Amino acid sequence: MNWLRMGAVVLVGALAIAVGPAPAAAGVPTDQLKGAVERVLKTLDDPALKGEAKVGDRRTAVRKIANEIFDFGEIAKRSMARHWQPLSEAQKAEFVGLFAELLERSYISKIETYGGEKIQYTAERADGEYATVSTKIITKNGTEVPVDYRMNKRGDRWLVYDVSIEGVSLVSNYRTQFNKIIQTTSYSELVSKLRNKQDELLAEDKGGKKKP
Amino acid sequence: MKRSALDLGVGIFVLVGLLALAWLSANLGRVDLLGQRGYVVSADFPSVGGLKAGSAIEIAGVEIGRVDRILLQDYQARVVMVIQPEIKLQEDSIASIKTKGLIGERYVRISPGGSEKAIPPNGRIREVEPPVDIEELLSKYIFGKV
Repeated sequence: MNWLRMGAVVLVGALAIAVGPAPAAAGVPTDQLKGAVERVLKTLDDPALKGEAKVGDRRTAVRKIANEIFDFGEIAKRSMARHWQPLSEAQKAEFVGLFAELLERSYISKIETYGGEKIQYTAERADGEYATVSTKIITKNGTEVPVDYRMNKRGDRWLVYDVSIEGVSLVSNYRTQFNKIIQTTSYSELVSKLRNKQDELLAEDKGGKKKP
Repeated sequence: MKRSALDLGVGIFVLVGLLALAWLSANLGRVDLLGQRGYVVSADFPSVGGLKAGSAIEIAGVEIGRVDRILLQDYQARVVMVIQPEIKLQEDSIASIKTKGLIGERYVRISPGGSEKAIPPNGRIREVEPPVDIEELLSKYIFGKV
């Protein structure tokens, strides 16, 4: 089984759809997450943004919604872990930009391949400023994939700072990878790796479609 | 006179042997006669798989503590750990239950975070990863396709 593909399908479903019964006890975090997911679905369904030629506009719209619900700064900080503090403010800003773009490029393009997966909001656990929203994505062949969103309260909004699929955390995955790269080489090597990856994805986009 | 000196020698020898045996079994059985050294933190997992009291807690493969006990709390598994006093855990540390090798014993791996705040004694590790159940995953993808 291909994990990347699995992850892609899951994230597609996670962001693109909101069908299925909602538990009666759903709280504010669930509502806000659901709202964002529903808006992404609407964007993908919007006739004004359909078709090959509108890929750019469509992705910009999806990216805007993603930025409202995902806290990319916090995801980057948590993924860098103890390598975060020594960075200068400029380096931090640069890294957040690069990392957010990598996540967006890796996953947003996959969202467009969405086709009828169902999503259920199964539970919510709140603990002061933190909450976990558990969802289940049901693929067309009936496989259930549990996806949990870890959210943190910022003002009156709840932002996602980690996603775990089948119990595997996104932050934990990147934390291990970044730590290995920084310890065996250096921070600048990590940045250039991220840049290369971005160029690769950009080239893939250009190769496959008319506009990135 | 000579006889009693020999008896005394044997007695001491047996006593030393018994003490050594007691020390050995306490050590091998990981029984802490004087209580564990360190501070207590807990973490709630949806499932702990085969984790047991006494399992190791590691950072970068180095043991930094042990699981003290595991109890059921709100239908989740609460793992109570004793961490060595000199080890500071950041607030955003992630505790994952891992398996040594493919079928080895379970242990808790902590990947240190970057937060300035440390988890206080009797605090909680909020970020957790339950063990990946390979069998469940396999069956899901074997039987899932209808």
